[in-house]
Amino acid sequence: MNRRRFILACAALLAFAGSVALPSAGRADARSDAAAKFVQDLGARAIDVLVKPQLARDESMRRFRVLLNEGFDVPYISRFVLGQNWRTATPQQQQEYGALFERLIVQVYADRFAQYSGKNLDVNETLKITGSRPEGDTDSIVSSQIIRPDAPPVAVDWRIRSRDGKQKVIDVAVEGVSMSVTQRSEFSSVIQRGGGQIEALLQTLRQRVGAAG
Amino acid sequence: MKLPGFFRSCGAAAAIALSLSAITVSGCVLPPRDDPAALAAYKEANDPLEGFNRAIFGFNEGTDILLFRPAAEIYRTVLPNPVRNGIRNFLRNLRSPLDIANNLLQGDLNGAEVATKRFLINTTAGVGGVMDIAADNGLPYRSEDLGQTLAVWGVPEGPFLVLPLLGPSNFRDAAGVAGEAYGDPLNLWATNTDRDEIPLVRGIVGGIDTRAGLIEPIDDLRRNSLDYYASLRSLYRQNRISEINNGQVPAGSESYPEFPEFPEDDAAPAPAPVDNSNGTAKSSKP
Repeated sequence: MNRRRFILACAALLAFAGSVALPSAGRADARSDAAAKFVQDLGARAIDVLVKPQLARDESMRRFRVLLNEGFDVPYISRFVLGQNWRTATPQQQQEYGALFERLIVQVYADRFAQYSGKNLDVNETLKITGSRPEGDTDSIVSSQIIRPDAPPVAVDWRIRSRDGKQKVIDVAVEGVSMSVTQRSEFSSVIQRGGGQIEALLQTLRQRVGAAG
Repeated sequence: MKLPGFFRSCGAAAAIALSLSAITVSGCVLPPRDDPAALAAYKEANDPLEGFNRAIFGFNEGTDILLFRPAAEIYRTVLPNPVRNGIRNFLRNLRSPLDIANNLLQGDLNGAEVATKRFLINTTAGVGGVMDIAADNGLPYRSEDLGQTLAVWGVPEGPFLVLPLLGPSNFRDAAGVAGEAYGDPLNLWATNTDRDEIPLVRGIVGGIDTRAGLIEPIDDLRRNSLDYYASLRSLYRQNRISEINNGQVPAGSESYPEFPEFPEDDAAPAPAPVDNSNGTAKSSKP
């Protein structure tokens, strides 16, 4: 009797799990589809706002900063990149680091976009979405290819996290190399070589964003 | 095998063994015990020989700036794109026996079939491998090397290693490079028939062609890195993991980075919006 009840309970559990799992699989598909559209829209906006017009450096940095904060979860990324060192940083250090990190990203990427300034690119011929899949409970990975003239295409994976119904990029992987992980490794090295002090990283960042600013 | 070639291999092996024993004695960094952040950094860097590696890295940087980068620039300026593609195709086709063997050793029969078809098609219709006809017909090139094969067999990567002139590597990949140089059919034939210049020219041209394809990315990385060595170390490791998995990262695998959700109260303070673009304004106090 016990055994039979156990089997029945299992069957009921399976049926229940099935009825729960199926709609959530549908939701996951909808989530990754939405993420793919999000990446495509972000690419289109970047080309319209940053690439097509000829911009002065200040203006392209300003526009990039707006786009960056719309499309990317900068506070999350900056915290991820600091890794274990976040916990040992004081609130003042965390605050200053967050601001410096954002400025570093703005400067580096605004300059990268400047190389393409004034080019009349078409997003559908530059950024090809090749697939998307749900990852975990909140994330989607959108796979894409950046098409370049006279060079092989570059595979870029975008990790999108949806939080409170809003989507943000939390990582970009180029040919399997995560930008966040690389930067985390680099920052960690700067801190270790500076005697394990966060201040060493802050000092390096201040010099870098100040000198170029 | 001719004796001079044999002695040269012995000499190289002895030099590597000597330098390795030297670094294990002197330059080894021990893992930190008490600091969790330092320990995490130590594990992620996988670089107990960092002092030695940074020294070789400095030497490589010098030779790159003085020699390889300028050579790559000239190569790219003098030779038009189709010629460079032809050279790359030709050199890749020469690697076909190694690609086929590595696919087989990894148990990848489909990969071996693709590599074999590519070799046959490109050697004949592709005029000795100069044209990559196979890629245009749905058989794209994929590099398989002995380092990847060893990884598939479960050999651990070993510590990060910067090789003189060859650049970032690890113990497993260095063994792979040595094994391939030794076992490559073309190299064997060349050494056995006193044509030692063939592997040398092949290595130099291949190196310059690869370097020419990386001029902008490496310039960018050098310019924008806070610690170029550490960036390259991380890039190398991640890129090799991707190559070993043939670009497909299995979900939930250890090599895939985790992106945890940080607790709400612990979240990073959002940088306050800055409306002047010169970047001098600090974030406002919380």
